[in-house]
Amino acid sequence: MANELDKIEVKPARRQFLRGAAALASVALAPGLLLYQARPAGANVDSGVRWGLLIDANALSEDDVDACVSACQREHGWRAEDGSATDAQWVRKVKLRDRASGHTRFLPVMCQHCEHPPCVDVCPTGASFKRADGIVLVNKHTCIGCRYCMMACPYKARSFIHEVLKDQLPVAPRGKGTVESCTLCVHRVDRDGADAVPACAEAVNRAGRQAIWFGDLNDPASGISQALREFGATRLRADMGLNPGVGYRGL
Amino acid sequence: MRSWLLVLLFCCSGIATAGESSGFGQIAIPSPVKPTTADSCVEPVEVMRREHMHFLLHQRDETVIDGDRGSRHSLTGCMDCHNPATAEPVVRYEDPEHFCAECHAYTGVKIDCFECHADRGLEQTGQSRRDDQPAWRAERNRLTAMSLQQRLEHSRGE
Amino acid sequence: MAATQRYAEIRSRSPGYWGVLLLLAGLALVGFAAAHHMDVEGHHVTGMNNQVVWGLPHVFAIFLIVAASGALNLASLSSVFGRAAYKPLARFSAVLAVALLVGGLAILLLDLGRPDRLIVAMTHYNFKSIFAWNILLYSGFIGIVVVYLWLMMERRMQAFSKPAGVAALIWRLVLTTGTGSIFGFLVAREAYDTAILAPLFIVMSFAFGLALFALLLGFSFRFDGRELDQSHVERLRRLLGLFVAGIFYFVLVFHLTKLYGTQNHPFERFILTDGGTYTLLFWLVQIGLGNLLPLAICFMPAFAGSARALFAACLLVIAGAFAQLYIIIIGGQAFPLNIFPGYEVESSFFDGVIADYAPSIWELLLGLGGVAAALLLALLALRVLPILPEGLPAESD
Repeated sequence: MANELDKIEVKPARRQFLRGAAALASVALAPGLLLYQARPAGANVDSGVRWGLLIDANALSEDDVDACVSACQREHGWRAEDGSATDAQWVRKVKLRDRASGHTRFLPVMCQHCEHPPCVDVCPTGASFKRADGIVLVNKHTCIGCRYCMMACPYKARSFIHEVLKDQLPVAPRGKGTVESCTLCVHRVDRDGADAVPACAEAVNRAGRQAIWFGDLNDPASGISQALREFGATRLRADMGLNPGVGYRGL
Repeated sequence: MRSWLLVLLFCCSGIATAGESSGFGQIAIPSPVKPTTADSCVEPVEVMRREHMHFLLHQRDETVIDGDRGSRHSLTGCMDCHNPATAEPVVRYEDPEHFCAECHAYTGVKIDCFECHADRGLEQTGQSRRDDQPAWRAERNRLTAMSLQQRLEHSRGE
Repeated sequence: MAATQRYAEIRSRSPGYWGVLLLLAGLALVGFAAAHHMDVEGHHVTGMNNQVVWGLPHVFAIFLIVAASGALNLASLSSVFGRAAYKPLARFSAVLAVALLVGGLAILLLDLGRPDRLIVAMTHYNFKSIFAWNILLYSGFIGIVVVYLWLMMERRMQAFSKPAGVAALIWRLVLTTGTGSIFGFLVAREAYDTAILAPLFIVMSFAFGLALFALLLGFSFRFDGRELDQSHVERLRRLLGLFVAGIFYFVLVFHLTKLYGTQNHPFERFILTDGGTYTLLFWLVQIGLGNLLPLAICFMPAFAGSARALFAACLLVIAGAFAQLYIIIIGGQAFPLNIFPGYEVESSFFDGVIADYAPSIWELLLGLGGVAAALLLALLALRVLPILPEGLPAESD
């Protein structure tokens, strides 16, 4: 077999590999037993930024909000499984009617990417975490499916996967027995940085009409910071002091 | 203590290798199909055989927590070559001829990667992978052009 | 009281005794099979959903965990507070505490979305999570009580059983505080977000644990033909009455506090008047059958010393316990989050509406299986170890 050739070639090389690994400050007891490898520098997440969204409720029609939801579904591959209360919804259309005036509007509601996320506080394994750049995620490798984060979230932003899934998309691994929520299109953010456009924003922003801003809340020159200065924004459940990264204009 | 452990492990791997070459019973030794799209893997075959799980385990935290999506040790990268979107017929992890399933069935190692991850390369919907040349792909092409010795130097120097 | 208390294994060979053991073993197996089904199919086979994320298994699990802490009552009373009359029951008290906790934890574990990742829960700790604290509190409780039990049973070590008893008492109070705080710390939900849940859970633990303890004691004594004197029954009856009165008091304060603030009126209306099943469960089962009736049984002179009355009260307390935990856990989630105060809300994700929840047979079987496993464990311990006193005759003094 071709294996034989590989073996002959690699035998001296294996020792070199080990020596190389030791130089990498790895703890290797034996080939195949690598306990710890030093983390190389150059990770993407920049702790100096804080990503956020500004959603302009005045600019969004009911159809626009529907478009946000479908764009998110296409992007991440979630969908109605059987139309029941067990379906995942990363972003949902909420219809609000002012009790006093009867005024009605539609909002997309998703994970609010809090600065002090209760879901992160309560998670027993630390699977629910906030990235250095402010994006709140579930690390599905360590999520045990206890759902305590869903109990703790004030925005009902999280879903539990109730069934076996097939044909997940490469950018959005998701599977039975773990919790998930809006990732702020983190795969786009990691690729495009400040130029990233989350799928929901992409679906509704048009030339000359910006309905959803994405950007760095820490950068006073970013489009979102300028828009926030100009319009102001309402944070959902601001009374809880969680400082969400998502703001709403016109609420 | 540590040297004893090393000796023990080497003995074990020796026994395992001996078993492989003599062929216990009639079980066919897996020989997963190598992709034709690249001359070589991101690491030497022997290194991949032994270390792929560590590469993937290490890399998964880098991606999920640190947002490093250009790694050449990415599961998506494995699938893009070893079970590409264009493969006909479509092979799933449940099929015995799936690139990962073949050896994992042979060694009796159960993995749950594909309960969540795509078990084949898929072109993304929408515009999520707009560039045709993501970082890992460029990296792989560069590696392909290297000799084995160069690649090992590269692994060490990283 | 006799100078030396003698203990003995259960020796019953009666078909009734073995029948009960077999039934419990069968139920435990069926519960395990149900959990396996849930694990393979996913939680869509349960009644739980994205609104009511914790369901019937959690009602059973928290009942057992809370009762486990309370089951240690009599051991604490004898070791820590020097009540010699309870000393013969201290061993069983400790055994039952461990068994109930194991049963409750088994349910919680098997209900996880990824029960196969138990090792992750054991190796990744987020020390800000009350849930993670509880993992440590529960394992620590089992360890401490096992040591405590050994110190009580080993004649040479009995001197050390008091400090162990004090440690166990403190530990279990912290543990139940932790369990109540799983809910009490949920600031976003109107049903929770209150410190009173911690002491409420502690007093609930006293009553639920004692009720289970008395029932199992009665069962084992009866099948083994051991003597249970009226004086002991009477003591347990009064103790149970005291604990039930405690529950009633804390529930009263809980609802009065909520009723005082206008913002909580919708929630109180939901539980007290408009909640359908929840309202019915609250008034009829929790308050009526679970509190008032047992109170009557425990304090009316007519039932003094009646074992039958005590066991009836215990059963009622347990029925009330399930109703109460169902309302706290499921009712608390069914009531919608108030994300947009002042607005009428409508969405595809059940915003602004009372969530539906109908438990499925799998959840019920898992819950019952856990209870059965706990009871089986306790009864088997009684069979192989000299845990129970040979009899509790009338006291000589």
